[in-house]
Amino acid sequence: MSNNNRELTIGWLYPTLMSTYGDRGNVICLQQRAQWRGYNVEVLPLDLQSTVADFHKVDLLVGGGAQDRQQEIVMRDLRGAKASALREIIEAGTPGVFTCGAPQLLGHYYEPAIGQRIEGLGLFDFVSKHPGIDARRCIGNVVFEITASRLAKELEAMLGKPPVVIGFENHGGRTYLGKVEALGKAIAGYGNNGEDGMEGAFYRNAIATYSHGPVLPKNPFLADWLIQTALAEKYQISVSLSPLDDTLAMQARSAMFKRLGVSESVAAARG
Amino acid sequence: MQLVNGLRLSLAVSAGRTITSLVRLLGLGAASVLPGEIASRIQPQILQMLCRQVKHGVIFIVGTNGKTTTSLLLRTMLERQGLRVVHNATGANLVNGLITALLDNTNLAGQVAADYAILEVDENILPLVLHSCQPRIILCLNLFRDQLDRYGEVDTISQRWQKAISPMSPETVVIANADDPTLSHLGQKLPQRVLFFGLNEPKYYLDEIPHAVDSIYCPSCGHSLDYEGVYLSHQGDFNCPKCGFTKSKLSIDSREWPQILIGLYNKYNTLAAVLVAQEIGIDDNNIRDSIKNFQAAFGRAEELEIAGKRVRILLSKNPVGMNETIRTVNEIKVGGSSSTTLMVLNDRTPDGTDVSWIWDVDTEKLVASGGTIVVSGDRVYDMALRLRYSQKDEKNGCKLMIEEDLKDAIATALEHTPDGETLHILPTYSAMLEVRELLTGRKIL
Repeated sequence: MSNNNRELTIGWLYPTLMSTYGDRGNVICLQQRAQWRGYNVEVLPLDLQSTVADFHKVDLLVGGGAQDRQQEIVMRDLRGAKASALREIIEAGTPGVFTCGAPQLLGHYYEPAIGQRIEGLGLFDFVSKHPGIDARRCIGNVVFEITASRLAKELEAMLGKPPVVIGFENHGGRTYLGKVEALGKAIAGYGNNGEDGMEGAFYRNAIATYSHGPVLPKNPFLADWLIQTALAEKYQISVSLSPLDDTLAMQARSAMFKRLGVSESVAAARG
Repeated sequence: MQLVNGLRLSLAVSAGRTITSLVRLLGLGAASVLPGEIASRIQPQILQMLCRQVKHGVIFIVGTNGKTTTSLLLRTMLERQGLRVVHNATGANLVNGLITALLDNTNLAGQVAADYAILEVDENILPLVLHSCQPRIILCLNLFRDQLDRYGEVDTISQRWQKAISPMSPETVVIANADDPTLSHLGQKLPQRVLFFGLNEPKYYLDEIPHAVDSIYCPSCGHSLDYEGVYLSHQGDFNCPKCGFTKSKLSIDSREWPQILIGLYNKYNTLAAVLVAQEIGIDDNNIRDSIKNFQAAFGRAEELEIAGKRVRILLSKNPVGMNETIRTVNEIKVGGSSSTTLMVLNDRTPDGTDVSWIWDVDTEKLVASGGTIVVSGDRVYDMALRLRYSQKDEKNGCKLMIEEDLKDAIATALEHTPDGETLHILPTYSAMLEVRELLTGRKIL
């Protein structure tokens, strides 16, 4: 089967403003994994110059972290018709991965350490707050099991075992979930707020997480789920991706699991 | 009270110096931090008391990249003029490192014998150090994204610098990089006399702005900056179409100066040192001779000969640094005199524990130029994974070799370096120290 005439457009939210922690790696990972399988990929920056029509061309969304000043510039731009377009495509099931600052922007609001509350798009039912300039940042390697029910089920079917994500977190803000489902349960690290043991959020097909690293290259199953879901949504077909050689990713995972003293099988962590 | 303070200083100095001798006698390293720590516990005002005594003044060098190379070059310029210089040459740039360097040139009565102190200062502690010491010159080299797990953001750092420098005496002179929008802006805001260095050579413009940039937005109004051309990361010829903010006027003509070592970043380092040297009245001949005869600082484009093969170590500790070392290595690769590269990625405290920055580096360019890349370090598989994703298809590109053990990695890399070629090693900070120790058989820190 040739995938040559199938196309995937990856919408990259504000690449020059929101890419503080190597988040470009998520774009590279999605692009390469789709291209290696013969799909044509276009990476479309969704930035200050973009129009509402650009948002509607997108099959897959990626958003990264920003510095405070950059985040302000984004929020000034992401209003009105652009905000509605983003809301619409996520509601319609366009898959996406939003890390670090991006989730704060999709929630109800973010309260920074200094300055005024920044209103978000309110897509995800959560709020984020910075506990104050002297509060410790949540920094370090992080491991969590994906528990969001539909996602966990689909990933488990792909993997043959419960999906465990490994990444790095570095956030001052703390996120508190409302009715939205958590993405996962922290095994090592802080997660959303270091209090309730939850990490990230999952809504429609959108993944929000504090985990960068970047998150996708070392969790290739998550990348493949996003690609697969994007293709299925776009072409209304069921897609099964051909396997790739992920030995290096597995070795990178094992090395970090070993260092953190975390067992790779979640069963042990559950017990 | 003064007597007590003086006695305490003497005691602190002798304690510090005793520790230095002991550590070096026992071969435990260069003692670049501990003596300062002990001495400042005995005399908390020791930094202030020592700085005040430096005859012609203290020069602070701050910035993300290039501190060590620039201060070494400046030091040789001053010494060529016959001046006595204190310098924290090991790169220990936190408070205790500064004290330790000063202690090295202090007698037991607490008197400092130096005409100038050249002190590399960590960007985060500059405001703190300015409380204790009024420098003659502050040299601001550049501000790039570095070690986000510790420091946070470029904007925040620049704002803190401005707040700390503004109230200082007008006698302090600030020398800043005009091509760096953040620093150009900082310089324009300060009440002190500010001189600017930078490039005025469009032939060095890059084809496109690299991804790993931090400030392509106007530091004054937040609008996108217009670039006539980019020299390196966000450094270039720019102006803001909205508020009129523009690159500061240069106090030095870059076309008139040769550069040290290789890499455009070393042209910046050279210009920075020249401008400081001119400001304090160093002879033109001494400046030019120092540039001509310059020997690299450890690990910074340093060249070694190992088993008949040439090795060049290019410290690469953040996205901009690594992009520039890759650009330099690729120029040599294209010239045909290098085909093997060793990359060593560590994630210890001095490296930054967050290695996500390697995804902001354009490693695609190093892979596309072919040859062999050997990978090692604490995060060997993370680096290897980055390189795998830099390969457009699974067959083309370079040969990737993975060695967990650094010693094996060096041996493999040397083995794959043909006679007559140079092996380039791109390590993070702690990896650079390890590489050097393995290659030269001795510790430096």
